[in-house]
Amino acid sequence: MQDLYIAPTAETPEVAFLFSEHKLTLQGESYPENAMAFYAPLRASLQSYLAQLSAQHPLEMHFSLKYFNSSSTKLLRSLISLLNDAARDGKQIIAHWYHDPEDDMMMEFGADLQDEFGALHLNVTPYEPA
Amino acid sequence: MYTQDNLAQAIAASLAPQRPLIQRTDGLLIPTRAVSSTDSNGDVFHLFEEKPDLTGLPVIEAGQPIGMINRNIFMQSFARPFHREIYWQKSCIAFMDKAPLIVERDTSIQDLSFKVIAGGEKALADGFIITEQGLYAGVGRAADMLQAVADLQAEKNRLVMESIDYGSVIQNSLGRASRESMRRTLVDHFLIWEPRDVVSGDFYYFHAYADGFLVILFDCTGHGVPGAFMTLIMSAFLQSALNEGDHRDPGALIAAVNRHVKQAMGQIDHSHGEADAEPVSDDGMDAAFCWVDTQQRKLTYAGAHLPLFIRRPDETDVVMVEGDRAGVGYATTPMDQRWRNHEFDLPEGSCVYFFTDGVTDQLGGKKGIAFGKRRIRESLQQNAALPMPEQRSALMQTFNAYQGHHARKDDVAAIGFRI
Repeated sequence: MQDLYIAPTAETPEVAFLFSEHKLTLQGESYPENAMAFYAPLRASLQSYLAQLSAQHPLEMHFSLKYFNSSSTKLLRSLISLLNDAARDGKQIIAHWYHDPEDDMMMEFGADLQDEFGALHLNVTPYEPA
Repeated sequence: MYTQDNLAQAIAASLAPQRPLIQRTDGLLIPTRAVSSTDSNGDVFHLFEEKPDLTGLPVIEAGQPIGMINRNIFMQSFARPFHREIYWQKSCIAFMDKAPLIVERDTSIQDLSFKVIAGGEKALADGFIITEQGLYAGVGRAADMLQAVADLQAEKNRLVMESIDYGSVIQNSLGRASRESMRRTLVDHFLIWEPRDVVSGDFYYFHAYADGFLVILFDCTGHGVPGAFMTLIMSAFLQSALNEGDHRDPGALIAAVNRHVKQAMGQIDHSHGEADAEPVSDDGMDAAFCWVDTQQRKLTYAGAHLPLFIRRPDETDVVMVEGDRAGVGYATTPMDQRWRNHEFDLPEGSCVYFFTDGVTDQLGGKKGIAFGKRRIRESLQQNAALPMPEQRSALMQTFNAYQGHHARKDDVAAIGFRI
């Protein structure tokens, strides 16, 4: 499956879905006016990738987000929900949710995700950018 | 509260064009004499000499334009050794550009601008020939076209801003009854309502009853015009929920609004349907609903992702109560979702606050991270003894200083009262 790379803009995060290396990254800020238009293709490609991912290949997913608006929130949840479903189906998925050590909002959000998506191995990790 | 409006008016005024707007290509027409293909290069040379501001000279044949002679190219060629002698008597088509940009006079300025840009530097430098039903009418300059495009753009911006400005008048009016009732009922309170872009996705509701009052702060998805649309929709559904239900039961009121939104907007869970189905809205709100029984001195709070901050005079800490996690009205929120009521005693002098996530999620500080709940709490804690308007000033000072040079991300709203 073809890798998906989308360069970051002021309102949208950098997307580096390296399907060939089983390593997917989403980082930056997310507050597009029409979040659905941005996330629908990401969701579609993640969905088809997960469908063909074998249980032998571990997948790493990295979320390193500083800000997202409420419509992005829902769509991020929907991406994580896909990962959760795949994990429940026995696929090896490790997700990382990074937050600045002082950013209590991002940390709480990560903790909420842990509660909500029980099947997914999700690490909430304080991370000091270099 | 009105600074955003004033700003919008100032922008709109500065954008208003001083000249009449040009909508079609014929507004740019400069009647210019053309030469015929039977004219010689000598004739062209004389014309350019007589009219120093002539940058291009159209060439026509049987009334139709067939090319354009660019002054610089022509003069440079003519300056070469022997060219004058060789070409002086010959037809002027020798040095003309055979594919100039030709547009009909009724072409819109927008279509013209795309053609000029597609024509590249040549069209920008030489301009274009304007025809009427295929016959030569005159020429147009790219600079005039750019001016016309800029004027049209400014006019469109002005119209949009005027429209949004008026939207803000409507939104403000919708809140007036609540604001007045709040002023009459609450001796010591504040209301912060700062739309990011003139109109806001955050809104509030307040109503006084014989035995107490209902206060609501809500934050709809989006901001700007779509966000403001949602606040109107939510205000209407809130009214129906109040007509049917019990204002003393905030949790049930949220549940009723949830049902109304989902039914009216068809927001049911489509995530397992076909991917290419028609796009549907999935909008809703975060909200804090709060009933205060002034006789019993009891507060009942139900929250959808919008916390309550409370500081009672017998406690030193500001206590934060998280609402339920479910948002109101979204496709993924079940139709029969319930929201829990939390009850608190309110000893005299208790302070109660609500903030939308425009406050908590605003980026700022050295690291560009969210303002967060901790900073809100610290500010409330430090200033709890002050009257509410002063608490508001202190908090907003801290908030604005924290935001610094970072752009405002979202609408900001908050309510605080001492009871």
